[in-house]
Amino acid sequence: MATPYLEMRGIVKRFPGVQAVKGVDLQAYAGEALALIGANGAGKSTLMNILGGVLRPDEGEIQIAGKRVEIHSPLQATANGIAFVHQEMAMLPTMTIMENIHVSSFPTRGGLIDRQSMERSTQAVLDRVGCQFAPNTRVQYLSTGDRQMVEIARALLSKPSIIIFDEPTSSLTSREKARLFDVIRSLKADGVTIIYITHFLDEIFDICDRATVMRGGEHAGSGLLKDLTIPALVHWMIGDLDMTQHAKKEVSQSTEVVLKVRNLNRRGILQDINLTLHKGEVVGLWGLLGSGRTEVARAIVGLDPIDAGQIEVNVGGSLRLVKAREAHKWIGMVTEDRRNEGLLLPMSVKQNMSLANLRGLLTRWKLVDTRRETALAQQFVERLNIVISRLGQPVQTLSGGNQQKVVVGRWLELNPPIFFMDEPTRGLDVGAKADIRDIIFELAESGAAILLISSEIEDIMALAQRYVIMHRGQIIGELPGSATRSDLMAAAVGAVPTAETGVTA
Amino acid sequence: MTAQTQTTVPTDSNWIRLRNFILQHGFNIVLIFVLLFYSLSAPRFLTSANLISLLHAAAPMMIIAAGLALVVMTGKLDISVGSVAFLTSSIGTILMVRNGFDPLLTLVIVLVIGLLIGMLNGFLVVVLKISPLIATLGTMISLRGVGLELTRSTTISLPEDIRRLGNLTVGSVFVDSLIALAVLVIIHIVVTRTPFGRWLIAIGNGEETAARLGIRTRQVTYLSFILSSLLATLGGIVTVIQVGAASPSIGSGLEFTAVSVIVIGGISLFGGEGSILPGALRGVLILEIIRNGLNHLGADPYAYRFVNGAIIFIAMYADSLRARLPVTPRTSESSKPSKST
Repeated sequence: MATPYLEMRGIVKRFPGVQAVKGVDLQAYAGEALALIGANGAGKSTLMNILGGVLRPDEGEIQIAGKRVEIHSPLQATANGIAFVHQEMAMLPTMTIMENIHVSSFPTRGGLIDRQSMERSTQAVLDRVGCQFAPNTRVQYLSTGDRQMVEIARALLSKPSIIIFDEPTSSLTSREKARLFDVIRSLKADGVTIIYITHFLDEIFDICDRATVMRGGEHAGSGLLKDLTIPALVHWMIGDLDMTQHAKKEVSQSTEVVLKVRNLNRRGILQDINLTLHKGEVVGLWGLLGSGRTEVARAIVGLDPIDAGQIEVNVGGSLRLVKAREAHKWIGMVTEDRRNEGLLLPMSVKQNMSLANLRGLLTRWKLVDTRRETALAQQFVERLNIVISRLGQPVQTLSGGNQQKVVVGRWLELNPPIFFMDEPTRGLDVGAKADIRDIIFELAESGAAILLISSEIEDIMALAQRYVIMHRGQIIGELPGSATRSDLMAAAVGAVPTAETGVTA
Repeated sequence: MTAQTQTTVPTDSNWIRLRNFILQHGFNIVLIFVLLFYSLSAPRFLTSANLISLLHAAAPMMIIAAGLALVVMTGKLDISVGSVAFLTSSIGTILMVRNGFDPLLTLVIVLVIGLLIGMLNGFLVVVLKISPLIATLGTMISLRGVGLELTRSTTISLPEDIRRLGNLTVGSVFVDSLIALAVLVIIHIVVTRTPFGRWLIAIGNGEETAARLGIRTRQVTYLSFILSSLLATLGGIVTVIQVGAASPSIGSGLEFTAVSVIVIGGISLFGGEGSILPGALRGVLILEIIRNGLNHLGADPYAYRFVNGAIIFIAMYADSLRARLPVTPRTSESSKPSKST
């Protein structure tokens, strides 16, 4: 274990406006698995894309087996023995396994595909990942986990000495995960260097030997996993920011339930979601990207189909069972993707704001009352502090923050009792973020119930009176509003929030 | 939290299995019934003379469908094939009849024109990124216009010695049937055994995925349009020789027959699925047998269009059903993720 097999030194990568990777060192050893972890935007993917030849570094060097190498394209990465198993699989369902594995360079004889050699080499890599199926099985008949194995088999075809796994378990069941880990163990035994990128801290203790943690584009810490604990890793991931306690605005609590969701299920996505919202409260739906947060919101308002579940909404003082599609009548939805989901960009501010409320603006002749439309729009533009030159200004010319306010304004016209805010501050500047937070607070104060989904821990900590924790499509617990930053970080990676002690295996 | 529920593993009920069987073999079943019906009700249907003439009549469509299939397998469409067949064969006829060109030289010129049209279609779709349907609708309309202008919408008879080629036989089988079958076999090998053919299927599975896997999707797509046009040209030549003249009606509506052949043959319009043998061949034969049989029964000639339309509709519906049906994995490991503590 004296010298690392792979060494990346002083890697710097700048993108217009940001420095994604700020001089990072990374060492990985042959026959070992290195866990590369960090929050979203920590620079893991950028670093690995540099190793995979997808991106070129601005500074720094890469050494493999003690020799300096230049990697300027994915092809060169392959030539240097590096294989990348991407999170998003590239499968051709109507084609056979062997065709999927060889599709970028078929072995040919006299212009025709040499099926025998294709079958032989496919069988060899399938054996290596422990798959039983025949090379000429169509991929469409394989489960997700089996497809993942095919993806790995494809990576093995070039006989790599370094394999990068990017979030390989995010769509796998536990049994499939166990199989994947067996494969990784056997690769390690063969002396392959593994780099394992993940969000899930619990699983790296099963499979990895070392960990390198990144934070904000920098190297935050490295070590042997047998010397580390989850809290230690979390600490590296988020730093010492815990000290700054947010002055949370207290909203008068009410016990009146406005939304009750019971046993919401969507096969493969959501499992047994139970959720209650009270009048005037802000509930933070907290979890990692891909834990099912957005899916919960979408399922409740009927944007995605559900397999089972009951949704009750408080209508005139009593709970009423509603269909998912109907629930949208009482729930205002503000999404992160304001450009695609929320707004009609070429249309004016006024038209965008009145869109959800056109029925309420009709005159006797069932035509839109433009005077009331203008008056209402003007009122909310002022209330939300939207900076525009005129009400007829096309929404696409507004800044992100003002666009988001227009979305909120649209729902204010309808005055729904419930709001779902999905990443409402994503991509906004600090001032606009503060404005949106104020608006959310005001909404809650005026009695609306708010389900807040945010990856920005500042936002959610500033606003939420309690947290509902999601992990892999399930709600795994709740935290009170007083929860600290490390409580939240630990909860997000699946460490049960009630346990105060560090979870190590 | 005790969340360790077992989600129900999808099991195929008998009904689903029956449905899948029908979807997969539906047109084979239809073919068998049609054959049985005609054989019993039209005594002259099942004679070798009739079968030979059936293959003769189906020859142009076999060639054209083989070319179109290549484009359809990528998930795209080329509806200019009818007009290509008409324009190129008309030009050839004019060159020979009015300008006295040598037949072999004419053949070369005509094939080059077909190739150029294919390049134009490919350019519109690949470079200008116009939707294939619209791009080839444009060439379909404009090429027919050019052809009608050149022929002045008149019928031009072929020279006598060329016309005789239409009756050429080997043994008792017409030469054009043999050419058509040879084309089908060659294209079948291209699709199943060459990298190009597999890349067509890969693109049909998803252009972006194919590109990510390092397939040069633009070149492959371009080539598929060129081959489609070339084979449409060949189909046009065979048609003109059969008819003995270039007439304004040649290739008219043929693109839709070709598309229905494709769909009936089980080649998905969504791309990535289907075969030349038996797929495309079966599609041609089903339509031709139905037409031929109706003739033998002395049915109203308009009935054929109605039957044809009904079959296309059913085939399209089956195709969209197939595309919508979830494929049940063979190895079902659908236990829910359990959380490790």
